[in-house]
Amino acid sequence: MKRIFDTQLIGPFAAMVIVALIVALTTERFLNPGNLSNLSLQVSIVALIAIGSTIVIFAAGIDLSSGSMVALLTMILAQMLKFMGIPLVLALPLILFAGGLLGLFIGLITAYGRIPSFITTLAALIAFRGLALTFNNGSPIFSLDPALEPIFYGKLMGIPLPFFYLVFFYCLAAFTMNFTKLGREIYAVGGNPAAAVLTGINVRKVQTTTFVIAGFMTAVGAILMSARLNSGSPNYGQTLELQAIAAAVVGGASLAGGRGNILATLMGAMTIVIVQNGLNLNAAPSSVQNIVLGLIILLAVGIDMWRAEISALMGRVFGRSSSKQTSNIKKEA
Amino acid sequence: MTTATPLWEFVDITKAYPGVLANDKVNIRLMPGSIHGLLGENGCGKSTMIKTLSGVQQPDSGQILHDGKPVTISDPQVARDLGIATVFQEFSIVPTLSVGENIFLGNMPRSRFGVIDWGKVHADAARVLADMDVDISPETITGTLSVGEQQLVEIAKAIAMDARMIILDEPTAALGEDEIERLHELLRNMRATGTAILYVSHRLDEVERIVDEVTILRNGRVVRASGETEINVTEIVSAMVGEDIGEHYPKEKNATADVVLEAAELSTNSGVRDVSFTLHRGEVLGLGGVLGSGRTEIARALFGTDELTAGQITLNGKKVRFRREIDAIRAGLALVPENRKFDGLFFNFRASGNVTAASLGGLSRFGVLNLKAEAQATRDLIRDLEISTQAEEKTVNFLSGGNQQKIVIARWLFSDSDILILDEPTQGIDIGAKIAVYKLINKLTRAGKAIIFISSDHDELLAMSDRIAVVQQGTIARTVAASELTHDDLVRASADHSHSPSQEAYA
Repeated sequence: MKRIFDTQLIGPFAAMVIVALIVALTTERFLNPGNLSNLSLQVSIVALIAIGSTIVIFAAGIDLSSGSMVALLTMILAQMLKFMGIPLVLALPLILFAGGLLGLFIGLITAYGRIPSFITTLAALIAFRGLALTFNNGSPIFSLDPALEPIFYGKLMGIPLPFFYLVFFYCLAAFTMNFTKLGREIYAVGGNPAAAVLTGINVRKVQTTTFVIAGFMTAVGAILMSARLNSGSPNYGQTLELQAIAAAVVGGASLAGGRGNILATLMGAMTIVIVQNGLNLNAAPSSVQNIVLGLIILLAVGIDMWRAEISALMGRVFGRSSSKQTSNIKKEA
Repeated sequence: MTTATPLWEFVDITKAYPGVLANDKVNIRLMPGSIHGLLGENGCGKSTMIKTLSGVQQPDSGQILHDGKPVTISDPQVARDLGIATVFQEFSIVPTLSVGENIFLGNMPRSRFGVIDWGKVHADAARVLADMDVDISPETITGTLSVGEQQLVEIAKAIAMDARMIILDEPTAALGEDEIERLHELLRNMRATGTAILYVSHRLDEVERIVDEVTILRNGRVVRASGETEINVTEIVSAMVGEDIGEHYPKEKNATADVVLEAAELSTNSGVRDVSFTLHRGEVLGLGGVLGSGRTEIARALFGTDELTAGQITLNGKKVRFRREIDAIRAGLALVPENRKFDGLFFNFRASGNVTAASLGGLSRFGVLNLKAEAQATRDLIRDLEISTQAEEKTVNFLSGGNQQKIVIARWLFSDSDILILDEPTQGIDIGAKIAVYKLINKLTRAGKAIIFISSDHDELLAMSDRIAVVQQGTIARTVAASELTHDDLVRASADHSHSPSQEAYA
């Protein structure tokens, strides 16, 4: 347990709480039960996709393709349900499989073709969007299946279903990253690929696996997106990949790979959505929301990079923690 | 020589960091035309002294005398103006720029209109290089040079600014034997023209070769003052470690007659040619030769990293073929790579993650890791190998080089390998840690493991090996008992092929 809830969570958790407090104090409707359950709906899609984006980042890769992949998968799902007569119970697993397959494709090209993931997923970002437009002459497909909507809007014991998806997938991801061979290998590959090769880790296989996971989680997000709007559209998921990466970064994942905690990504996603929600409730225009989101990302990474300077500054201001630091150094010496 | 005025003199220099007295009333006299060795274990205060002399930081008390007059070296520019050039361990060369640009970086000759005078840059650079008797074109892109040549460029920078004192911090850490010889030749020439040279090194054999005077630091204090011309390695080691360490090389002979590994006519595309040898249980087989002679490539061929184009490896009587590293690891081989920073350690992990990295399969059931077993094994190894107890509290980048190297070796103890290939295992670690590695080698061979030992430190190789295979141009020229070889034999064997293009040096 100590391993999962380590110090890497303190910062993102504190950020989330502080942001929530500020929004709660300035916006009276924020703490309404209705708004809170709405919040879990809002965060669910980006937070689920961010699981994959974060795991790719842990292995020192980057996944820019998820937003376009969402659009493509909603169009494939819509096509299957509306025009091919494939039943929902069959269509959903097929979409999950398709997501994994697209991820596998990207992963193989990246790892075995030795092309940086920034390039392969940038290409996929552009190409998948184009591919999505080839369905139904590029028009959205509406009213897919009445049984689709409850997947997003349904409730269990009064709690929205997406909340349970979040709990399930984050528990699974945290378990994988902290307690399994695969998780350890992902961190090892991200930390030092050359050393990983010499310890017998199949680096390319591990890298490919992270993209399969990312594709699968993107498919989960795509299903929720379709369910939310009971439709498929080539325009869905724009900039979703950036929001997912932002969640990982605000959660403290190092883009250099090897460092970070998957649960912190959930907190990063929550932080972002709470801010957006607060601005929404105060009727701020979307332009302001984007500016604020940009600043949050800068601030989150900045605080992480300037940690030493900030604590030194705090020490000077409060005159207390600096002496504590000295004693720490003494111990090491 | 000692009667003359020193070019530089430190008088009672003291420098404290929070909680540590890094320099405690250090006195040192640097004479013109003299190579002065500065020695000591890691953390003894050497770097602090170098930083003070090069103006990076200020002493808390004490005086610095230049030609007998007190001066303040308030920043690196002042140090340069006073004729001090520092060649740091990590080069300050821009690899994408030309040699000429690097030599005059920050000090480019300009024409009247403020534009860089490229003709002058290259002509002046060419003159400096010619004076040094170095055959490098000033227009070469520096990054394409070997590490040794880059080091020479670094020194050319110092000469171009007319430095009267040069500080060299571990200048030979990345150099091959012939390059070291070239560097030493250059230093001797500079000494002859009256330059003062402060030479910091961990390699005691070369200190013996080149240094005129020596100052040894321990815990921030001078334990052996300058001017003692008698330089004796055993005495130096004792002074550095602070106790009579007895045997510097505590070799135990544990070799048996059982052959565990037999290599027959191995060749690879990376330059290994017809390599044949046998390795016995409990034996240390040393691979001698220059950097670039193919020792590392032989290790890679054995470990399944480079594909064999010909030849056969036989392990305990069975013919084997390693397609990848994991095949070799499963068969009981281990590789401690030459560069622990780039190829060995996971700096994002604590000791435990590093120790178990090569054994994750055995440590897990249905893909789930046994973290309790991992923690227990790590604790045991930290205790057995006397690794810093900090190792499990923080990621390993906070540990000293010696502790880091022990952790890489611990990885292969945990994986229970039978054959360990140690590629330069003592490079860049201090004497105390080196001796710990030697003792570990004894412990391993006592337990019946076999070791292939690659080292550029001839004394160490001779002392710790049972047999030595001399590697030249990718093949084993001869294999003899270590007791039948001398230091000179090895140097000569290395020098025979000093003109071969060096591959390792480009890595």
